[in-house]
Amino acid sequence: MTIYSLYIFDRHCDCVYYQDWHRTKPTRAPSSQNYKPGVHRIPMITNNINSEETFNKESIFSKSLGSQNENKDHNSLISNNSISNDKDKKLNSLPKGLPFDEESKLVYGVILSLKNMVKKLSGKDEAFTSYSTSSYKLHLFDTPTNYRFVLLSDPSSDSLRFILRQLYVGPFLEYVIRNPLVKIDNRIEGIDNDLFRLAVDKHMKGLSMFN
Amino acid sequence: MTIHGLWVISKAGGLVFSRSYSDVLPPQPVNTILTLAGILHGIHAITAKLTPTPIPGVPVSGLESFEAEGWGGKVFLTPTGTKFVVLHSLPQAGLDELLRRIYEIYSDAVMKNPFHTPEMPINSSLFESKLQTLMSSVNA
Repeated sequence: MTIYSLYIFDRHCDCVYYQDWHRTKPTRAPSSQNYKPGVHRIPMITNNINSEETFNKESIFSKSLGSQNENKDHNSLISNNSISNDKDKKLNSLPKGLPFDEESKLVYGVILSLKNMVKKLSGKDEAFTSYSTSSYKLHLFDTPTNYRFVLLSDPSSDSLRFILRQLYVGPFLEYVIRNPLVKIDNRIEGIDNDLFRLAVDKHMKGLSMFN
Repeated sequence: MTIHGLWVISKAGGLVFSRSYSDVLPPQPVNTILTLAGILHGIHAITAKLTPTPIPGVPVSGLESFEAEGWGGKVFLTPTGTKFVVLHSLPQAGLDELLRRIYEIYSDAVMKNPFHTPEMPINSSLFESKLQTLMSSVNA
């Protein structure tokens, strides 16, 4: 069993957090006008040599910790497919997959449409819980405050909504809701911070179905 | 397992057949089902695009099943693009076998009928009665 990616959407339908683990088709960084800080750590593709520098500024929370030693640690959190050096970066900058902003809109669109369909068919306010294709399965967990946790895993897994609930009552409450530095519910930036990302990563890697 | 309903969606996304076989889900006007079938057709295409690990050279497949609390839906895509959507209760043992049986009935009663126009709504009493027999044996 494998875990592919995690999305968190807020009540404004915006993606506020993204992390991935075993994707063979990574998403691309969005173009700069669609870029929303504090959501993901997909390396930006820039043509100048200082790309490393712009990359460090992606999260406001990593600024204070931004010494060179810790950057190694951050790189491991971006994605398992993180690119090691600038030369490789240029080679890999060819379009692969969708830009992140478009992909997150598609994910939200699919869960919204399926939700409406399930609601209409059952005639009551019933939540849709998961869907699967031959290559992946999507799990949805709704919180009472309309945060939507979305997890992509391999299709053979059982319901993983309990994991999303654990993430909500654990790392999310601890490092996002109780963190005065996170600007909850503004539409300009996401909820990403180092502690939350580390806690989610640790939680996922501790699961028996992670690999 | 109880079968709540069956839809047949043509390769263009139009609903060509729909029947309800239980009263667990409230009956819907045909127009609503027509809209929902169209939406499902669109979702099917988008879900294929979201595949996190596509294998180069192998076509990606779209939505196969979805689950709500207590019931779910299964989408069976034939090689010609027709989709059979079965709404069922959970757990759903033997659903694949049932879908194959439905496809068989469809081939026999609809595709072999010289008076049937492809991609048009299915108007066949033989198809309906055969399905009714199959469904009542499953729902019993």
